Amino acid sequence: MSEEYALALKLLGVGMITVFLILLLVVVFGNVIIRLVNKYFPEAEKVLPTDTGKGINRKKLAAITAAVNMATRGKGKITNIEKL
Amino acid sequence: MTAFQAIFEHPSVLLMLLIGSVLLYLGIRKKYEPLLLVPIAFGIILANLPGGQMGVVPGESIELGKEHFMNLFEIAHKFGIMNFLYYALIKTGLLPPLIFMGVGALTDFGPMLRNLRLAFFGAAAQIGIFTVFLAAIALGFTPREAGSLGIIGGADGPTAIYTTIKLAPHLLGPIAIAAYSYMSLVPVIIPMVVRGLVSKNELKINMKEQDKLFPPKHKIKNLKLVKILFPISMIIVIAILVPTATPLLGMLFFGNLVKEIGSTVGRLTDAATTTIMNSATIFLGLTVGATMTAKVFLEPKTLGIIVGGFLAFAISIAGGIVAVKVYNVFSKKKINPLVGATGLSAVPMASRVANEIALKHDSGNHILQYCMASNISGVIGSAVAAGVLMTFLA
Repeated sequence: MSEEYALALKLLGVGMITVFLILLLVVVFGNVIIRLVNKYFPEAEKVLPTDTGKGINRKKLAAITAAVNMATRGKGKITNIEKL
Repeated sequence: MTAFQAIFEHPSVLLMLLIGSVLLYLGIRKKYEPLLLVPIAFGIILANLPGGQMGVVPGESIELGKEHFMNLFEIAHKFGIMNFLYYALIKTGLLPPLIFMGVGALTDFGPMLRNLRLAFFGAAAQIGIFTVFLAAIALGFTPREAGSLGIIGGADGPTAIYTTIKLAPHLLGPIAIAAYSYMSLVPVIIPMVVRGLVSKNELKINMKEQDKLFPPKHKIKNLKLVKILFPISMIIVIAILVPTATPLLGMLFFGNLVKEIGSTVGRLTDAATTTIMNSATIFLGLTVGATMTAKVFLEPKTLGIIVGGFLAFAISIAGGIVAVKVYNVFSKKKINPLVGATGLSAVPMASRVANEIALKHDSGNHILQYCMASNISGVIGSAVAAGVLMTFLA
């Protein structure tokens, strides 16, 4: 039985250290990827008009764009927005 | 030939039929994880109908000699189709990784990538797994059984099933039931643990205000590319360090990769999240339910699994909360302890529950995306914990 307790305590230590280590690597690698992408492959920021002139503000336009992208899997393009 | 005589000889099957019916009620009426609970409950009923040949037989029954087993045709011929399904799909460990592929294709790592440091709380919340592992050994479970019991604390159904298949397949039914029942009880268990450990002032910590006071150092300038590179690099790193976690995390990251690639592989994403995942869920539920024959389920160990599973769950939630509290002692930028409470898996229900609690205390405190960060890292954390258990015990 004492052998089993020793195994359990060992696993408690090794298990928690491993989980922390892996998630530390997730954080480190995530940060490295973000920095490399920011440096070498940054995407040009999309400048949205503050107001489209048709009573649709920037936030609503962003929401509509996101919804269209989601529904059309990025293939759709918004050419005109009209209030019904 | 009817089954009346068999029922008179083994009346315990009636109790199992009742348990199956109660679980069906919980799944259909109360909507407790219905996608899994309904097939599991129906599998229990099928398995306990005498003469139906739908109950899964123990591994020894198909063993012909040392490490020599019946082939699938022989299993189907002698023990029926449910055993064919069980030994082909479950015993081989096939279905949990397939479900993980679907989970990956439904998961957005974006919130975690935007708040990477919150991933640590997904690690802290795995403490319940190893604590209950220790406690279960003290209660007389074998190390392999204790490992399967502890993994319930990861709050991840496929991970719990996969680990149990590898370590203690005879406990598969009760462990699957306990894991999915407690996952469906997340809206009850998280508030209960939070009430005991977190003060009202802590619950009011506004994460967005903290972000304004201490803005993140790096803004992601090309999120789509980061999301594509992340699963590829992570699986290589994790598989090198914990190879036993590769079947689960490999499929999770593959599913996530096809999702992030977008429309060019849209059909793969659709297949992973609908056809494959739904089929896998049906067969997983039915066959896991079919392992719960009266002889296997009506054992004192089942009660131990139900109590131990709850403790593993509660300790995991508490572990995440305590980790946040410790972090807050040393950091100027405070974190709402509810973020730690979501460090176990149970995505996205745990995050939704935590967000609702935060909104109750401050109607402007939307913490969902922060909770999702630790919640998603909890999926990785529990799969890694399972990998560690399998490495040492299998």
